Amino acid sequence: MRDPALSVSLRQSGPIPLDVEFTCHSGEVLAIFGPSGSGKTTILRSIAGLYRPSHASIRSGAETWTDTDTGTFIPPHRRTVGLVFQEYALFPHLTALGNVMTAIGHRPRTERRSRAEAMLNLVRLGAHASKRPRDLSGGERQRVALARALAREPAVLLLDEPFSAVDRSARRRLQNEIDSLRRTLDVPLVLVTHDFEDVVRLASHVLMLQHGRGVACGPISTLMSRPDLPWLREAVGLGSVFDATVTRVHADRGLVELTFGGGLLLAPARNIVANTAVRVRIPAREIVLATTAPAGLSLHNVLAGAVMAVHIDAAFEGVIVQLAVGDSVMLAEVTRDAIGRLGIGVGQRLHVLIKSVSVELQASDANGAAEDNEA
Amino acid sequence: MDWAALRVSLWLGAGTIAILLPLGVWFGRLLAVREFKGKLLVEALVTVPLVLPPTVLGFYLLVTFGARSPLGQAFEALVGHSLPFSFQGLLFASAIANVPFVIQPIQRGFEAIPSDVRDAAASCGLTPWQRFARIELPLAWPGVLTGAVLTFAHTLGEFGVVLMVGGNLPGQTRTLSVAIYDRMQAFDDRSAGVMAATLLTISVVTLMTTTALSRRVNPHRA
Amino acid sequence: MRQILRDAAFTIRVRLLKCSCLALVAVWLLGLQEVSLAQRPPTIAAAANLNVALTEIAKQFERDRGMRVDVVFGSSGTLTRQIRDGAPFEMFLAADEEFPDQLTSAGLTRDAGVVYAVGRLVIFAPTGSPLMVDERLDGLSRLLRAGGVTRFAIANPDVAPYGRAAEGVLRKHGLWDAIRSRLVVGDTIAQAAQFSTTGNAVGGLIAYSLVKEPGVAERGRYALIPETDHAPLRQRMVLLKRATPIVEQFYAYMQGAAARTVLINNGYQVPQ
Repeated sequence: MRDPALSVSLRQSGPIPLDVEFTCHSGEVLAIFGPSGSGKTTILRSIAGLYRPSHASIRSGAETWTDTDTGTFIPPHRRTVGLVFQEYALFPHLTALGNVMTAIGHRPRTERRSRAEAMLNLVRLGAHASKRPRDLSGGERQRVALARALAREPAVLLLDEPFSAVDRSARRRLQNEIDSLRRTLDVPLVLVTHDFEDVVRLASHVLMLQHGRGVACGPISTLMSRPDLPWLREAVGLGSVFDATVTRVHADRGLVELTFGGGLLLAPARNIVANTAVRVRIPAREIVLATTAPAGLSLHNVLAGAVMAVHIDAAFEGVIVQLAVGDSVMLAEVTRDAIGRLGIGVGQRLHVLIKSVSVELQASDANGAAEDNEA
Repeated sequence: MDWAALRVSLWLGAGTIAILLPLGVWFGRLLAVREFKGKLLVEALVTVPLVLPPTVLGFYLLVTFGARSPLGQAFEALVGHSLPFSFQGLLFASAIANVPFVIQPIQRGFEAIPSDVRDAAASCGLTPWQRFARIELPLAWPGVLTGAVLTFAHTLGEFGVVLMVGGNLPGQTRTLSVAIYDRMQAFDDRSAGVMAATLLTISVVTLMTTTALSRRVNPHRA
Repeated sequence: MRQILRDAAFTIRVRLLKCSCLALVAVWLLGLQEVSLAQRPPTIAAAANLNVALTEIAKQFERDRGMRVDVVFGSSGTLTRQIRDGAPFEMFLAADEEFPDQLTSAGLTRDAGVVYAVGRLVIFAPTGSPLMVDERLDGLSRLLRAGGVTRFAIANPDVAPYGRAAEGVLRKHGLWDAIRSRLVVGDTIAQAAQFSTTGNAVGGLIAYSLVKEPGVAERGRYALIPETDHAPLRQRMVLLKRATPIVEQFYAYMQGAAARTVLINNGYQVPQ
């Protein structure tokens, strides 16, 4: 039985500065997030063995892939990694099938074709097996690249900005595809991106990178509620991100009931079945705080929370209030004036008001055909 | 029509390709893929035969390998005849003169392969040899073909080096281009004309064939 | 560095492949060489002025004796240098005596050789040229003063004895300095003849033996230059040390009656 964890430690002062340390367990999706030039791709290439930092320790399960202390270095073709490149890097002279078959050298010759075909079917490209990359659309090429990476039966799946070269609708579908795939795969998945939407949709853990240094690392819900990352706030807009389960569907009311660490939420939804796992996102500025229990309001969700921290940043107009809601942490953005008027301070108990339409949901069913609901 | 001269020319062309193609592929790929100190100098040296007058090349070859030089005498002791004024000498001179014609197109051919594709091949589990044979070479093939054809055509037309190093020996070092010169000096314009036309036809046909081939090979580039 | 060492396994295999390719090529080539050497007739080197006469003599030699020699023509100076650099010629018929003497001094010849012919210069003008030919070069002188000499052909005095003689003639008549900038210089006397007879020059000083060829004579008109106007073109031939029996026979043949007749017919004088 493979121990599927991936543990990485990289340090280098130049030419590309690096200083990161993280682990990733099977089934986890680690998103490495940072602005362009922060060294994200270099980290991925180091894991794949395509780049050799001056100090590095990379282990996949029981195998040591790189260790500069002992001088160990396994060349890239002997590491079982699946790498999906930003520009797909498909072999232009081979068909889609040929591309995927290239990665199955570790299997007997007789099996290769059938395995490759199975992979292509997995990404729903079975009909395009004999097409060359130049005859495929961007999204299709990306899926071939994915199939090729998976065909390697990798111990680690690495995705380098996998959606950047794809248009919006294809991006959604690909994200859902990957999300459903990772549930069936038993490997760690490391995803590099500068687009926080990818992080929100897919990641279970996040590593924030700035100039090659890991400035924050942890589960996504924790990281999302860290207002001390100003560039994150600017780039993305803060909010609460957490996983929830659909406990009931109120078909007559057009609502679904979600259970999460902080209690119950109602959100409008179509075509979602009960007992589905969903990822929830609530932008901070959609949350209203109240000192008294409201009545006669249109919104559906009133939760009980306690103020954990108040973050005032001169660079921003709004103030971030960090609240503990049950076991979860949520963020609300209000004006300074409101802080003063309500006398908001640490430890204070407040009512957290959320419109059901502000609850952003993302779910995928087992077939990989995904639903995405934004109110 | 001097059939012996035609034969010598064709053998010289084929022989030059046989020597230079493997070397060209190896070295052209190296230059395309690797960075190293002094690479600029190496690339310049590779280009030198392009701008070097053939007579200069011939001169240095004679001086270095002629019967009056230590290297030349060693060669003669080993093989039984001198290096200049033999077909091997011509082949040697031709190989040197054609280095840029073979290396530069091949280098461009390998350079045209995106480094991502090479990395992808490695990540797919292909060993360096497999990467080279199954991914890089098929993609760089137009460059290799161009290098081969340019070399062949250029060799057919070589004159200065051949005359200086070869000595115009019939059946051995008298190539078609030299034979044309020879016939002209003997006032045999008709023979000279026939041979010149032959040389021209071979060159044109070779170039046409390769252009057509390379078009067929190229279309899978996205 | 380690990266490079690790690629060594790959590189070594590639190099092995290439070495074996090269080895195959080398073996094949050597084989080619061996075969060709065994079958090849011996090669002799001759000054370009003998282009017509020697070809004729060699043909007769083959008819009379059933043996073949291959002749390579060039300028005496170039051939001498090539012989010294190891060219596999077995006999050398020069256009003068100095060049063969160089070879003898270098110890490359059997002996000092013999003078087999004495050559003559002519001034030649192709049909349609404004140049009037006469043995005193008056016509040339006139044309030169009138500015009508666009180009005049001689052989390269450094490597062709006939060129040297031509320079001597021009200097003797006081024309050298004036005509110098107009000279087109042939690598061999045959090339100079080419220039002279094809209208690429108004005319030239070339070998008598070359205009004696029927095809050439009718291309223009010529006048013999008196022998006293230049150092005598005594042409010497030598056997090189590596000469094989066939060539030895040819050397003797060159001094026989048949060869001498051909030489005389081609405008040479032969020693008694």
